[in-house]
Amino acid sequence: MSEEVKQNSYWKSLKELSRNEEYEKFLHREFPENASEMTDQVSRRSFLRVMGASIALAGFAACRRPAQKILPYSAMPENMVLGEPQFYATGMPFQDTVTGLLAENNEGRPTKIEGNELHPSSSGRTNIYHQAAILGLYDPDRSRAIHHNGERASREEFIDFVREHFSDGNRRIAFVSGENSSPTLSRLRNQAESAYPNAQWVNWEAFGEENSLEGARMAYGQRLRTVPHFDRASVILSLDDDFMNPWAHKNSVINAKELNEGRQVRSVEDRMSRLYMVESNFSNTGSMADHRLRLKASEIETFARALAERLSRSISGLNAFSSVNNRFTDHDWVETVAADLLSHRSESLVTAGTFQGAELHAIVAAINLALGNIGQTLTLHELPHDSGRTSVEGLRFLTESLQAGEIDTVILLGTNPVFNAPSDLGFPSALEQAGTVIHLSDYIDETSRLATWHIPHAHFLEAWGDGLGFGGHRSVIQPQIAPLHDGWSDIELLHLIVDREWSDGYDLVRETWQSFYPGNFEQQWRRILHDGIDPESGFEPVSVSLNGNFSSEIQSGGTDPVQGIEITIRPHSTIFDGRFANNGWLMELPDPMTKITWDNVALMSPATARDLGISVERGLSERDTPVIRIEADGETIEIAAWVQPGHADNSISLTAGFGRRNAGRVGNGVGVDVYPLRTTDSMYIQSASVTVTGQSYEIACVQDHHSLEGRALIRKATLEEYRENPDFASFENVHGYPIPGLKEGIAEGGDRPISLFSPQQFPEHEPQWGMAIDLNSCFGCGVCTIACQAENNIPVIGKREVTRRRIMHWIRTDRYYEGDADNPKALHQPVPCMHCDMAPCEQVCPVAATTQSEDGINQMTYNRCIGTRYCSNNCPFKVRRFNFFNYTKEYLTTGDDPEIIQMAMNPDVTIRFRGVMEKCTYCVQRLHRAKLATRRETGSKKPADGTVETACQQACPANAISFGDLTDPESHVTRLKRNERNYVMLEELNVRPRTSYLARLNNPNPELTQ
Amino acid sequence: MSKTYEYVPKPALVKGDHDFSSLTSLITDINLRPTPKAWYVAFGIANVLLLIMLVAVGYLIWQGTGIWGLMQPVGWGWAIINFVWWVGIGHAGTLISAILFLFRQDWRTAINRFAEAMTIFAVMCAGLFPAIHVGRIWVAYWMFPIPNQMGLWPNFNSPLLWDVFAVTTYFTVSALFWYVGLVPDLATIRDRIKSRMGKVVYGTFALGWRGSNRHWWTYEKCYMILAGLATPLVLSVHSIVSFDFAVSVIPGWHTTIFPPYFVAGAVFSGFAMVLTLMIICRKIYKLEDVMTLDHIEKMNIILLVTGMMVGFAYGMEKFIAWYGGVEYEKAIFMYRASGPYAWAYWIMISCNVLAPQFYWVKKFRRHIGLTFVISIIINIGMWFERFVIVVSSLSQDYLPSSWGYYTPTIWDVMTYVGTFGLFFTFFLLFLRFLPMVAVAELKGVLPQANPHNYDKKGNYVPPKSEPPKPQYES
Amino acid sequence: MKRDYTDNNSIYGILAEFRNPAELLKAATEVSNSGYREFDTYSPFPVHGMDKAMKLKKSKLGWIVFAHGLTGFLGGLALIYFVMVVDYPLNISGKTFYNVPAWIPVIFEITILLSAFGAFFGLFWLCDLPRFNHPLFNSERFQKATNDGFFLCIEAADSQFEEEKVNQLLKGLGAVNTEQIDSGL
Repeated sequence: MSEEVKQNSYWKSLKELSRNEEYEKFLHREFPENASEMTDQVSRRSFLRVMGASIALAGFAACRRPAQKILPYSAMPENMVLGEPQFYATGMPFQDTVTGLLAENNEGRPTKIEGNELHPSSSGRTNIYHQAAILGLYDPDRSRAIHHNGERASREEFIDFVREHFSDGNRRIAFVSGENSSPTLSRLRNQAESAYPNAQWVNWEAFGEENSLEGARMAYGQRLRTVPHFDRASVILSLDDDFMNPWAHKNSVINAKELNEGRQVRSVEDRMSRLYMVESNFSNTGSMADHRLRLKASEIETFARALAERLSRSISGLNAFSSVNNRFTDHDWVETVAADLLSHRSESLVTAGTFQGAELHAIVAAINLALGNIGQTLTLHELPHDSGRTSVEGLRFLTESLQAGEIDTVILLGTNPVFNAPSDLGFPSALEQAGTVIHLSDYIDETSRLATWHIPHAHFLEAWGDGLGFGGHRSVIQPQIAPLHDGWSDIELLHLIVDREWSDGYDLVRETWQSFYPGNFEQQWRRILHDGIDPESGFEPVSVSLNGNFSSEIQSGGTDPVQGIEITIRPHSTIFDGRFANNGWLMELPDPMTKITWDNVALMSPATARDLGISVERGLSERDTPVIRIEADGETIEIAAWVQPGHADNSISLTAGFGRRNAGRVGNGVGVDVYPLRTTDSMYIQSASVTVTGQSYEIACVQDHHSLEGRALIRKATLEEYRENPDFASFENVHGYPIPGLKEGIAEGGDRPISLFSPQQFPEHEPQWGMAIDLNSCFGCGVCTIACQAENNIPVIGKREVTRRRIMHWIRTDRYYEGDADNPKALHQPVPCMHCDMAPCEQVCPVAATTQSEDGINQMTYNRCIGTRYCSNNCPFKVRRFNFFNYTKEYLTTGDDPEIIQMAMNPDVTIRFRGVMEKCTYCVQRLHRAKLATRRETGSKKPADGTVETACQQACPANAISFGDLTDPESHVTRLKRNERNYVMLEELNVRPRTSYLARLNNPNPELTQ
Repeated sequence: MSKTYEYVPKPALVKGDHDFSSLTSLITDINLRPTPKAWYVAFGIANVLLLIMLVAVGYLIWQGTGIWGLMQPVGWGWAIINFVWWVGIGHAGTLISAILFLFRQDWRTAINRFAEAMTIFAVMCAGLFPAIHVGRIWVAYWMFPIPNQMGLWPNFNSPLLWDVFAVTTYFTVSALFWYVGLVPDLATIRDRIKSRMGKVVYGTFALGWRGSNRHWWTYEKCYMILAGLATPLVLSVHSIVSFDFAVSVIPGWHTTIFPPYFVAGAVFSGFAMVLTLMIICRKIYKLEDVMTLDHIEKMNIILLVTGMMVGFAYGMEKFIAWYGGVEYEKAIFMYRASGPYAWAYWIMISCNVLAPQFYWVKKFRRHIGLTFVISIIINIGMWFERFVIVVSSLSQDYLPSSWGYYTPTIWDVMTYVGTFGLFFTFFLLFLRFLPMVAVAELKGVLPQANPHNYDKKGNYVPPKSEPPKPQYES
Repeated sequence: MKRDYTDNNSIYGILAEFRNPAELLKAATEVSNSGYREFDTYSPFPVHGMDKAMKLKKSKLGWIVFAHGLTGFLGGLALIYFVMVVDYPLNISGKTFYNVPAWIPVIFEITILLSAFGAFFGLFWLCDLPRFNHPLFNSERFQKATNDGFFLCIEAADSQFEEEKVNQLLKGLGAVNTEQIDSGL
């Protein structure tokens, strides 16, 4: 039957699901349209309303406040106090790693994700995917029932079908799953393979680790995982490795944390590692580098060969390259970097980007071996769950056997190959060859539409599971809530198919884990459930030597740079390969470098843009950007062009994951699908021809001006400069004159510039909150924004409203470019509310809706706010956010049953309605909980240092944000504020912000003039 | 050496040989005559505009401030611009009726009624905006100190609150002042109108005024006091409006020159508006004898003066920005002239500074067509002045990351255009039913009104103009 | 100047019309010189010098306005002090509660507002207005008083009021017309 018909039937069946008439209203809408529904065309219907309203005036509008439903507690669970959140260990599986997390539960529903201190893949920190998982759980678009050929079917029907269908042991079954490290899944997989001898097992990931493993094989003769330890390295060379970002590295959280540890400078004595970056696109990892070289992605391997050759002159193990002589051989980078690496043997580290070819990984592997870094700055490990072949090989094999009719049943455990398989495979048509297709997935997605059976997949917060951390640590995934839509976990489905009996995930996992702890299982199990991890577990490091036929492998694998324009295809920074496309928080999170939301674009350097005839200058008033046509291997896409300063010339970076057809109301039709350009032999980099179409396209970019205009908002220095002049960041050093009024202020016995009034004194018994943000650590990943959004019930407003510059994020990360327009430096600066002691916003509010609290918080009284927006105008930092429409209502009533998404809300934080101002509160709800707790125990109102963390601080992998009580002279934040690098923005205004910044440092190599 | 002075006779305030009764009929017959067709047409148009305003405001209340072009960082847009613009226009009325009265400028009597009416309606239009621009219109009344169950009070530190008091006071006092002036003329109409209905209505509002001199005695005192009160008031009102900006920390707003600068601007735009309306009315209602060329010239001179003051303020802002050495202020004044809003800035300069320069020439000062055009140009210019101040400063303030470009939506435009409907609806009603010139006062400045211009037998002798004695300086 | 019309005779007074302000002024001077107090002149506009001619006392309006103004000033100050310092003091921008400079504008506006009310209502109170029925309105001619008529009326309430003498006097002063006004009450 044709896909068209199926689609309709799906909509019909979904409609049957609808629990209230609101569904009708939203049936044909998507989230962005909901946002744009609140726009200014008078539709004929609303026109009549308007006429009504214009007569009734305020009276009508007054009755439009959002009303919330409440649920009574019938049976109270034990050790649970209403209003007191509870935390349980769990973990988020992502590809074949699990990151240990804690889930905050309010009245039995998880509302916030936090890192698990005990877990080596998290150590208390998180990335944007972890934070956004909450919204994923409560996504009203998630599939809600088993479907058979598009029609709703019952669980029993499916189980009967399984019993009948799989009774035949000779079924030619193909199992397709993503990369997965779950021990239980591996166990069941073995059972499956023995139960069905003709079964095939295929792991498919659109963006996997495969090239790294393959590179290891070429260099060391075995497929090994490389685990970098950036804290142990003093010289780091990253070859196109955006290792601090979750979309580019599975261990990004730890990488960011460790790199930051190696670069922490608290005093002039401290050492600081040096980071060299060679990359095509300007990544935010690159923006942290001390030196950055922009090369076409396809040139980087060439560069690596030249570097290896240079190194081979001094150290053994790289003879394979001694004959290399290419355009980079005499490049000053090769010379200097080689020298730097050689002078730091066994404490240097060279890494290669996940999305670079296996050859580059092999070269890098050899270099690290030769430099003696292995076992020091990086460790190598065998993967127990490694399939032994690359995703593409697996998928090609499957497609071919499907076409050959050798497969009668395909079981897909949660992947979406119909959307993201390489275009030249023709997988979708091949899949239709299969007699039976069973698809387990969160959404009724592109693949589900070709499936005979669709099974709703249980979110990881809904079902039992297990897995291994990036370092191999065994972790248990504990469900926080019963499946909202009767979803199944992949192990439950697999087990059902294996022995045709239903068994709960809990039993399956326990069964697996029993084998790990033969002796004292129950006791161990309880400890592991509590900690979420077995700390003793973990991969054993493998010691390696250079592969015998390395030189032949590597010589043969020499690929030449792309002539003319190359395109690179990477997962998108927020929605990865498309799996998070229906997550509003991620969709609306600005890309760390471009600051674009709700779209993917074709990034290119200013020079390339000029060659194509695209204007590089972008006025403040411009919203549109030209659309280009990209053609590669006969496939074409049209996508908006975006000029990215610092991008390599003749190279265009594309990000995949957008242009989903069946993601859900948020993700459908947003952006452009670039998968069609992707083919099995050029998965990441290929040559392409580009033409300008002449159309233009509106982009929702949250930052319209990218230069600091020479303003001292971000202060920075090199390590040397800092050592010579430690307080380089002080106002006087930056401006050349002391802060106006400071002299008089000191004369009056203060330490601040003089003020017209004697300022208010804060009571002794109260803590005085303050924040310090270390610009040397922040790399702009944006996890603080998502964490804040989750903690503070911040609505998603949709592309149209973002385009109108009405984004609601309470903490934003400003990104400035500096220096040469073609090859600038990028600076990141998170900006929450500064909580000024003499806040300009407060005095201008006519109704005193924003005032200073006794513990120094600049607080908003939502109920009092009438929305003059004067405070926002008068805020020098523009951190205030206004509800121009009833955003929260629109946001919380999207979908056929609003209650679901409403469950994601934090009960401790007020929902803001139309017409009120809102902004960062320093997570006042957390502060007060802590104050009450301390008061109950000690009678003092001042929580001990570290006992209270703001959401942004807690999430930050780089530990850039510190927060605490300024009255405690020994608190972490107070000590930081005493540091010479500490400064506040716009000090001359004498508004006395509570949030200060630590100036940024760089550790450039004097040899390298760049 | 000696200087001889050529004697220039003071021009008569009322042209043509009018006596008391002819003046009375000249003015009040307009109200007594049956309504002309043209009036209905004009009134119809005004009402359509008014309806547009109602729709725009209704939709605003229904949907939220989001229907306007407002955003982060520009939290104030057309609404506040229009507010300041309308208030500014209002100021001319009070200035003419109060300040010129205190300075004994008798020529004001021809236009003060008219100008005061304009003031009141302009302030009504202005008052609309602060009320509707807030996010939660239904609680806008929280800006007044009304005891409430929450025990909350407004914040008297906020310039916006000062505004609330200033504008309400201004509206009330202008209305009282206007009505006091109206009473004797209402009595005149009461005594001349034929229809019973008319007698009742006008009679009621005339409060039984009968021209008693014992009344005139207190009346003049009262008028003087009200004028004395209105003068500091009108100056305070626009100063306070300017505080909305001057008290903030935003570069381009935070300027001490604002109060005088705003007041000058207000007088400037107000006189322009009076001229626009007056030139039309004197033509239609044949009031050339009363609203003479001399009036137009005098007002044009005021336009020239205030225009120069405004121009001086523009220059001074720039100078201080440079001289003060605050980088952010320096920057914003640079961006205004050369940045994304340069177009608005140069419209402002050419309309407000260049246009009035014509008035150095007497011929142009007395040229009605030119005056009409320039008066309109000036009001456009003054609107743009407020646009430049409000929008450009906000769109490019301290942190470049939050810079943004403001574009109005159709709803901004509709609301603004709509307020003209509100204004003209009231203004047309005024022209139709109330004497548009203060007849009693006008009679008072006729030469016939002065007892000294009569001989022993009580016959009127027009005043002779004595040349002043030649003065000698050594 | 409240007058008592409940006079046993039904005459309100004698109304005389004069040609122009000059004659009215002359007449008024004479009338007051010859000792009449309860009389008034009526003109479409205030005639210059008439108050001296009629020997009118200074109006009390100034004091009324001052009293109102003072009330406004003190009331405003009290209101703001109560609100900002006593009833609900809030830490706003770290400023002291006694942020007096910021109070000035509002206090000023309230003072002006109340003074204006004082002047407005004071005027009509002193003039004993509104008063829609008045004996003078019984006279047809009197309607000219708001147009171009200049009238003088000596009222029966005056101690030395005698119809003939008054008629003589007014005729002598050049009144173009005199008529007797019935109090009509």
